[in-house]
Amino acid sequence: MSLALIAALPFLGALLPGLAIRAGRNACAASAGSVTLLALILLALKVPTVLAGGVVHTRVDWLPALGLNANFMLDGLGLLFALMILGIGLLIILYARFYLETTDPMGQFYVFLMLFQGAMLGIVLSDNILLLLIFWELTSLSSFLLIGYWKHLPEGRQGARMALAVTGGGGLFLIAGLLILGGIVGSYDLTMILAQKDAIQASDWYLPALILILLGAFTKSAQFPFHFWLPHAMAAPTPVSAYLHSATMVKAGIYLMARLWPVLAGTPEWFWIVATAGLVTMVLGAGIAFFKDDLKAVLAFSTVSHLGLITMLLGFGTKAAATVAVFHIINHATFKAALFMSAGIVDHAAHTRDLSRLGGLRKLMPVTFGIVLLASLSMAGIPPLNGFLSKELMLEEAAHTTWISPWAMGLLATTGALFSVAYSFRLLAHGFLGPPRTDYPAMPHDPGAGLWSAPAFLVLLVVLIGVFPMATAAWLVDAAAGAVTGQPVAVEIHHWHGLGSAALWMSLTATGGGLLMLGAFPRLRAVWGAAPRPEAKRLFDGLIEPLAAAARSLTGLVHNGSFNRAVAVAVLAIAGVSLWAFLGGSHAAGTRSLLPVDFTSLSVWGLMVAAALATPFLHRDRVVALLLTGVVGLLIAPLFAVFSAPDLALTQISVEVVTILLMLLALHFLPRTTPAESTFPRRLADAGIAAIAGLGIGWLAWAMLTRQPAFAPISHFHLAQSKPGAGGTNAVNTIIVDFRGYDTYGEIIVLGIAALVIFALSETLLRSPAVTRRLANLPRPREDGDRHPMMLVVATRFLLPMALMVGVYVYLRGHNLPGGGFVAGLVFAIAYLMQYMASGYEWSQARQRHDHHVLIGWGVLIASLCGVGAWVAGLPFLTSGFDYVHLWPLEEFELATAAIFDLGVFLCVLGAVLLALASLSRLALRTGEAPNTRPFDIDPAMRDR
Amino acid sequence: MEALLASLIGVLTFTGVYLLLRQRTFPVILGLTFLSYAVNLFLFAAGRLVVNAAPIIGRSQTYADPLPQALVLTAIVISFGMTAVMMILAVGGHLASGHDRVNTGDEPTEDAG
Amino acid sequence: MMGHWIIAPVVLPAIVAGLMIILLRGSLRLQRLASVASIVALNGIAIALLWAATIHGPEAYHLGNWPAPFGIVLVLDRLSALMVALLSALALAVVLYTIGSRWDQKGAHFHPLLQFLLMGIAGAFLTGDAFNLFVFFEVLLIASYGLMVHAGGAARTRVAVQYVGFNLIGSALFLIALALVYGVTGTLNMADLAVKLPDLPEGDVALIRVAAVMLILVFAIKGALVPLQFWLPGTYANAPGVVAAMFAVMTKIGAYATLRVGTLVFPPDLPATGDLLSTLLFPASLVTLAVGAIGVLGATTLPRLAAFGGIASMGTAFLALSAFTPQTTVAALYYILHATLATALLFLVSDLVTRRRAHARLDQATAPIAGSGLIASLYLVAAIAMAGMPPLSGFIGKLLILDAFRDQAPLVWTVILVSSFLMILGFARAGSTLFWKPADSEAPPADHPPEAFCMTATFGLIAGLALLTIFAGPVTDWLATLADALDQPTGYIEANRLGQEP
Repeated sequence: MSLALIAALPFLGALLPGLAIRAGRNACAASAGSVTLLALILLALKVPTVLAGGVVHTRVDWLPALGLNANFMLDGLGLLFALMILGIGLLIILYARFYLETTDPMGQFYVFLMLFQGAMLGIVLSDNILLLLIFWELTSLSSFLLIGYWKHLPEGRQGARMALAVTGGGGLFLIAGLLILGGIVGSYDLTMILAQKDAIQASDWYLPALILILLGAFTKSAQFPFHFWLPHAMAAPTPVSAYLHSATMVKAGIYLMARLWPVLAGTPEWFWIVATAGLVTMVLGAGIAFFKDDLKAVLAFSTVSHLGLITMLLGFGTKAAATVAVFHIINHATFKAALFMSAGIVDHAAHTRDLSRLGGLRKLMPVTFGIVLLASLSMAGIPPLNGFLSKELMLEEAAHTTWISPWAMGLLATTGALFSVAYSFRLLAHGFLGPPRTDYPAMPHDPGAGLWSAPAFLVLLVVLIGVFPMATAAWLVDAAAGAVTGQPVAVEIHHWHGLGSAALWMSLTATGGGLLMLGAFPRLRAVWGAAPRPEAKRLFDGLIEPLAAAARSLTGLVHNGSFNRAVAVAVLAIAGVSLWAFLGGSHAAGTRSLLPVDFTSLSVWGLMVAAALATPFLHRDRVVALLLTGVVGLLIAPLFAVFSAPDLALTQISVEVVTILLMLLALHFLPRTTPAESTFPRRLADAGIAAIAGLGIGWLAWAMLTRQPAFAPISHFHLAQSKPGAGGTNAVNTIIVDFRGYDTYGEIIVLGIAALVIFALSETLLRSPAVTRRLANLPRPREDGDRHPMMLVVATRFLLPMALMVGVYVYLRGHNLPGGGFVAGLVFAIAYLMQYMASGYEWSQARQRHDHHVLIGWGVLIASLCGVGAWVAGLPFLTSGFDYVHLWPLEEFELATAAIFDLGVFLCVLGAVLLALASLSRLALRTGEAPNTRPFDIDPAMRDR
Repeated sequence: MEALLASLIGVLTFTGVYLLLRQRTFPVILGLTFLSYAVNLFLFAAGRLVVNAAPIIGRSQTYADPLPQALVLTAIVISFGMTAVMMILAVGGHLASGHDRVNTGDEPTEDAG
Repeated sequence: MMGHWIIAPVVLPAIVAGLMIILLRGSLRLQRLASVASIVALNGIAIALLWAATIHGPEAYHLGNWPAPFGIVLVLDRLSALMVALLSALALAVVLYTIGSRWDQKGAHFHPLLQFLLMGIAGAFLTGDAFNLFVFFEVLLIASYGLMVHAGGAARTRVAVQYVGFNLIGSALFLIALALVYGVTGTLNMADLAVKLPDLPEGDVALIRVAAVMLILVFAIKGALVPLQFWLPGTYANAPGVVAAMFAVMTKIGAYATLRVGTLVFPPDLPATGDLLSTLLFPASLVTLAVGAIGVLGATTLPRLAAFGGIASMGTAFLALSAFTPQTTVAALYYILHATLATALLFLVSDLVTRRRAHARLDQATAPIAGSGLIASLYLVAAIAMAGMPPLSGFIGKLLILDAFRDQAPLVWTVILVSSFLMILGFARAGSTLFWKPADSEAPPADHPPEAFCMTATFGLIAGLALLTIFAGPVTDWLATLADALDQPTGYIEANRLGQEP
């Protein structure tokens, strides 16, 4: 468990600083530090086991089905990195405590830092590459937060976004690569994978996997051509840079290459890709570093260069080279972290990091100078410091490696070394040597021990490892290199390899050349300034910004809010797909004997087709269009009647009437005409689309009408059971209220909701001043003649009670004959509608005592409870029972629980229509129309005068 | 007779879709209404065409398939509710924005509440 | 055996809504109380149903005590139970957020409509009858119309017209498809169809294939699958934040119905349709994912960004569905669980931001918002979830899908990974403008009352995502059993007891 615990500690610790900050900055830092220390101690306990050649495992099943498990392992390589992450992490926490300004939110900083630390630690402890992926992406995320920590700096935001884009993007390649790798091996556990070298390198998927994985590693480790993000990440606070770019973030890629070295390395592909990328990066980075003025920029490119060096060594694919790589990882971490922190100190003291504005700090900041001196000499590879040792070994390896030609590698390696000597010395010379200046932005001075103790400690390591490599570092190198190469390693590190060693002469050349370069700096600088070179950020923005812009315009173009286009696309898509599906299967023409055409149907058909086809031409006058629609709708009823569907005929008529009346009322609030907007070609195109739809549906209808069902329709059961089972002779009604009463239950609720929606919307409309203003300005309805004709009024008054009677009758007979609660409800509704039409809203409104909501509510409740009632009898929802009743003067009818359900239907329908009506009237009350208080405009009493 | 109904369904669909492609809300609503006419008839057609066979037990020898009729009944009611909602939305849109165009520009959310 | 409880998720909200309309119209407080109570109860019922489905396997509820296929049946199986549970969990978060943000004050009838929406969705998940599925689609749709236009406003109302109009076309298509199904087979019960369709005469194959694709297209409209997605961005971006969050589950209904129909009624081994559905869904879903990802990068406002994130997630979900194999189904369902919570979370967070911000645009900054630290981290979590980055369940879902589509790796992996990249870019850009970029005018953050309920809701969703991540193993194992049951739906069919007395 303890490995998992070590990996988890930083994440748990990430909670503390956020809370501890309330107790002050020291407590905040202490909380982060103590957790890190604890993890370090737990790790230290494992050291003996690992040095004894053992590997510590912790396995926790997470998602076995996928092969994603929380498996951790600790071997030499993991140990090396874990020690660096936690050790340097500890120093960074100390350093940051004194570095951050009181204005900086320190709690946040440590939270992010701990998250990042945890992610890094997770990477190096994972024994499952999917788990490793998770931590990998987490480092991208947390570094995004850390780099953007100073949110007010634009370069901070951009640098953070760039880092996320490059490293996060690389992570996606890595996902693919590792999935392939796991696929080859059949397991995602590193332990398994590392044992499968031959299988992996023999697989056809080896090269794709290799390339994808390397893309992940190179982006993370800032290898050419992905090196550009790293310098821009320098906008981060210095502690972050010191941490991310010495020991952690950028080392993750290195770690991955070292981790998979046993199974991926050793092939020509590996050598050419990795060694070349490393070599180019090393030389390029060192070269650029020489010309940078910003201290942190120098260090950034130097980091790029050293990462290249390590990558190159791993690329060689030999045990010896890998060992050197491991050694240099340690050395680089020590001196580079120290240098970054010192750069921060200088920045703090002198308020600038610009080499051209510095110089002469040696006297003003002796302590800092001491630290920087040793660290940068090590970076330059000057004996006896640790940088020298690994550089010597590197040059030795390079000298004996053939790349393109036997000597090319050695030459370029030397050049790289030469450049690094040059920029290291320049950093010293231009930063610290020379006479003190008078024009520093602030008077430089050494900081308190709080700031310099951390780098000082690291420099101490630099010296110790430099002087006593075998005593101090060899054990760790052996363990780590052993883990990388999978073979026992016993490294021999010496300062003197004899005059015969190529490395000696190469580094002498490098040192001498470096000094010459420094001397020639002004002239070289002039050349550099003149030389055209690509600016990484501009290239990157030139890539991303157009991408974003393209996405924006494309999205705007595709989703431009055009309903018409959406409909057109949908219709064509539906038609096309349906046709494609149809052609994909065999189709037999129908065999059903067809009905002869009779005159009534023919004439009805003629009328409907005429009305329907006239509408597109006449639709701009909306009243006409509405009338045509109504005609078509009403004419459907006789069709239903002819084809043995009296219930449908009845319903169609009543629904149609209500619909048209509601639409007429609604038309009060809409323009009376539709402007001619679409061009003739557009209309032609629309007609074409419509025709496709029409032909398609028509054809389907024909195909269906002319054939027999493949299987006996289930409705034979309904016909058979209608009377005995459901107690009604009207099979349609029994289906509605009984066999499929549940559909009806949903259907009436739809109506109820509709009414609620209408009410709610009219409410919100009336709340809006803009709306009420527009309502007030609505053109009054035409005043020609009287708005409320006496005859109509009188007629409707008589009609009301009659209609109600009819409604009751229709309701009661429904179960056996065409009718039922739904139609009854509509009949009632129509009767009320008539009152509105005849006497206007106010008059009727004034005579509406009850609130229609209640009707709907009761409708829903009664229907529901009627359904639930069956539970009492232990029967399922909506099970009905019935008995016969004779109620004079009506014919005998039976009282079924279904009838109670039908009552719910009735109430819902009535309530819905009335509520909709009432809502419309409430809008109408705000229009310019003068309210009328009398039933009709002509007062008969006034006639004789 | 079948041909008549099929062609009628086709024509109603045609008118419906054509009106759906207009740029104002009212014709669009009428289009939806026509579409629902066509669809209801189509659903009705699933029971095939029979004359003088109303599915009322004891009134005739053969019965038309009652199930599609019941389904159409449900469909009619639902489309009635939908049309009503669509209507009030159109009214609301017109009152709130001063015009009754159906296409919206790619404007950002007008208000978050 | 659950018996009557199976229909409780449908009847309970309906009765509560009815009572609200009759008795509680006067008092919003009481309505809130009733709403929360009903949803809490719904959660309890959902858990019980989940448990029963796990223990006893599929169980049918014969409405009106009529035998299937003549009456309507509800069928409880792992899938329907899971979806109902997901629904009620989401509803709890949404209702809490609604109360906290006072969205329900901004218009009439929010809570009754919400209850009816739950009723409709639950009904759609539970029904075993094709036409009844249509009916409950309409119930949930019309409720959603009301919620979408809640609180009014010109832009919102006009977009609502489009939303309703487009969905009415979908409903029309649904009816045509059902008419074809009944006209050809003479039945509507899905299990009955599963039994009968293999014996379909050769001559009827073409028509049933048309019916099949039409059904899938209807579901594709709900699921916003390209080219039927045009309605979604406007609708979701203009709907009230809470409603958009609730809609996160509505797109999933399209996915659910596709899965149900594609495994039960038109399974890949059905001669008549074969791989028809896969051939249709696979390319469409890839394009949908791309369109969504590009939209995330190109969105002009935060709510639109969230909406396009939703589209991308639907593309991913349908992609995983399209293969209709047990392995891909597990990946699909796991991803659907994740995407529902994640999308809802993103919409809630976007509502938290937009209600505090002067405007929702992403191209210019505003004065820092109140409590920006907390809200920024909430945004970060939501973005991580939506982009499918670790450590949240989105990443695991993505891994499952990538792993399941090894054989089509070059195409599928490329699309998924490239879209992830675009989304990471999009979320990062939006986030840094929203929370980092200082406004030109350094006005002090407008004071905004702390909303305990809102935070509870958002943190609840986050907790859900975390649990989904931590228990990925057990969850996927449970889903594997579910997927096998879908692959061999004999249990589901037997539960219907076709033709026998219920």
